[in-house]
Amino acid sequence: MRDVCAAWTLKHKPKSLRDVVGNKETIRKFVDWVKSWEGGIPKNRAAFLYGPPGIGKTVTVEALANDFHMELVEKNASDYRTEEAIKRFAGLASQYGSLFGGKRIILLDELDGLTGTADKGGVKATIEIVKTAQCPVVLIANNAYNPRFSTLRNYCILIEFKKPPAGEVMKHLKRICLREGIQVEEDALKFIARRSEGDVRSAVNDFQALAQGKKKLTYDDVLWLGYRDRQETIFAVLRMIIYSKTCEGAKRAVRMADVDLDMLFQWIYENVPAHLTDPHDLASAMDALSMADVYRGRIRRTRDWSFMRYIIDFMTAGVAMARVNTKPSGWIPFKFPQRIRMLSRSKAERAMQLSIGYKIKRKCHVSAVRASKDILPYLRIIFKNNADMAAGLAKWLDLDLRMVEYLAGSKKKSKDIIELLS
Amino acid sequence: MWAEKYRPKTLDGMVDQKEIVERLRSFVKSRNVSHCIFAGPPGTGKTTAALCLARDLYGDAYRGHIMELNASDERGINVVRETVKTFARVRSIGEIPFKIMVLDESDNMTSDAQQALRRTMERYTETCRFILIANYSGKIIEPIQSRCAPFRFTYLPRKDHDQHLRLIAEKENLNLLDDGLDAIFEVCGGDLRRAINTLQAAASLNRPIDAKVIYSIAGRAHPADVRKMIETAMGGNFLEARKQLRDMIQKYGVAGSDIIRQIHTEIFRSTVPEPWKLKLADIAGEIDYRLVEGADEEVQLSALLARLVEAGYELRETR
Repeated sequence: MRDVCAAWTLKHKPKSLRDVVGNKETIRKFVDWVKSWEGGIPKNRAAFLYGPPGIGKTVTVEALANDFHMELVEKNASDYRTEEAIKRFAGLASQYGSLFGGKRIILLDELDGLTGTADKGGVKATIEIVKTAQCPVVLIANNAYNPRFSTLRNYCILIEFKKPPAGEVMKHLKRICLREGIQVEEDALKFIARRSEGDVRSAVNDFQALAQGKKKLTYDDVLWLGYRDRQETIFAVLRMIIYSKTCEGAKRAVRMADVDLDMLFQWIYENVPAHLTDPHDLASAMDALSMADVYRGRIRRTRDWSFMRYIIDFMTAGVAMARVNTKPSGWIPFKFPQRIRMLSRSKAERAMQLSIGYKIKRKCHVSAVRASKDILPYLRIIFKNNADMAAGLAKWLDLDLRMVEYLAGSKKKSKDIIELLS
Repeated sequence: MWAEKYRPKTLDGMVDQKEIVERLRSFVKSRNVSHCIFAGPPGTGKTTAALCLARDLYGDAYRGHIMELNASDERGINVVRETVKTFARVRSIGEIPFKIMVLDESDNMTSDAQQALRRTMERYTETCRFILIANYSGKIIEPIQSRCAPFRFTYLPRKDHDQHLRLIAEKENLNLLDDGLDAIFEVCGGDLRRAINTLQAAASLNRPIDAKVIYSIAGRAHPADVRKMIETAMGGNFLEARKQLRDMIQKYGVAGSDIIRQIHTEIFRSTVPEPWKLKLADIAGEIDYRLVEGADEEVQLSALLARLVEAGYELRETR
């Protein structure tokens, strides 16, 4: 297999426990249990690792076998199904040392896959193995608390793997960047890491899909991720709306595809100017979008969603009918809405602003909402420019480190401020 | 924050608002306070007046006798039912038999909450007096208004505004230049809290404080930038104008309504033919109104820019 074809999840799989993403405490617990075999058979002959997919359970066992030079005997759901198949497997577990002198560790992966009548007795057979095992047996499943494992659990030490935080996932992605020689914007990595919600495997897969074959990866490239499979749909819908000759045709475009209306609005808003170049046409198209937005405001105020139909009228038919003078002129590509990148960034930011707002409120007799809008911008200027004044304010307002860092805008500046504080 | 450091502590220390201060003093003298509405634009001393009144009335231990609630953060009816009632019904210990409840930004209270408040005010008048603070007294329901003594706060006169800022500049050892002071007034429009915050942020730069410094920090577009955006639009380049708009909103955090106000000002300073100025003002007015109704500042302002592009085009046609 040529290098470029290899899945990065395999190619960059951690070889050593040191490199496994997150779950440090958990891994230590697991290692301690394996080491306890040195002093004879421990109380629990099996460890049951469980947790959501893609967070490194199997990888941990493999890395451990590698670090401790153990022979890993692995069976997963695709190999063993029935009671008999497992029993045949049981012989392997009956001795600690393998033929080649190394120690052995047995891994039964994907226990969740042990379902239905086909696997009848599979759990029972597994219990038998665990009861009599002469070497460490590791069981892996997403959900250890499935009722079918209730007896099995009694023989195992339960070890829960948790989703690693986005920061840990990012570190792993960064390592891959380095090895693959790809330059990636920090924000892009953050986006991928966050989106994966702790599923390292899917993060690496996503990352490969986007980055492979590239020298550089920007935040804009990454944004497609969320909408990757919808990109073509959105283009078709946009074309129907912007180039439709009838109201009905433009409106039908929305019904045709399952697109999020807010998203679609942003797409239209971003792309209308390039496609309607005549000043009159542009003005009336933008006017239609402005009216659609007015109805959006009305919905928000009245909570009456039946106004939605007018939003659709204005953003589709309104835009389509704006074309009077502009001639269709060849191929104009559609652009990804700038504002969506802004919006996806600003959610977390708003939460941060409000929490600072509450700190200000306690001192300044204003509401947190207003403080975060009216006063916070000034704090930001001060924190960026004047560490002395900032330190005084941070103390007075009782800001925590994250807040200081947010206001200062960079780690370096916040460090100056924090030094003054201590 | 200097806005707190230099917040007047007593009614005597209040800047301007003379009539109001006079009436509040008579409250202190008679040891009685009626329910009040303090209405007026931001940064004109409403909250300060309430705090000063409380301090003059109860002395330094005033904090035990007063409660501040912010309707923007807690505006539901439950707050009135629980927090307000609990506070209002317990009798105050000490010489003055009532406490003071300050409801800040109370024009943001839901009308349900206001209805609930109305009864609470009546029932617990003996033990608690309410001061409702609002930008627009019109947003407070009629029955409450009729129970309250109205106080109308207005923007400080320029003279008092300048004097107060110069005083702070002197105490903080700042080099506040005249055009800097002008810029502060232009940007904050007499909102003293904002003015002081602006001054403090400007001071953090450790530079003489002139107009340029002020515009750069005030969360306000520099008039030159607004002018440039209008020119770009009227020159026919919508995409570039929209980019400039985005920069203003996103990078400098300028509010949409502020930009419209500035566009409006710039229209009349511009060189377009006189009749066109009114046409453009009409467009700005329409969009300003939609901004109040709409949900998205950038979309509304872009629509305005597109109209400016159109106007610029028509202007060139007629010439």
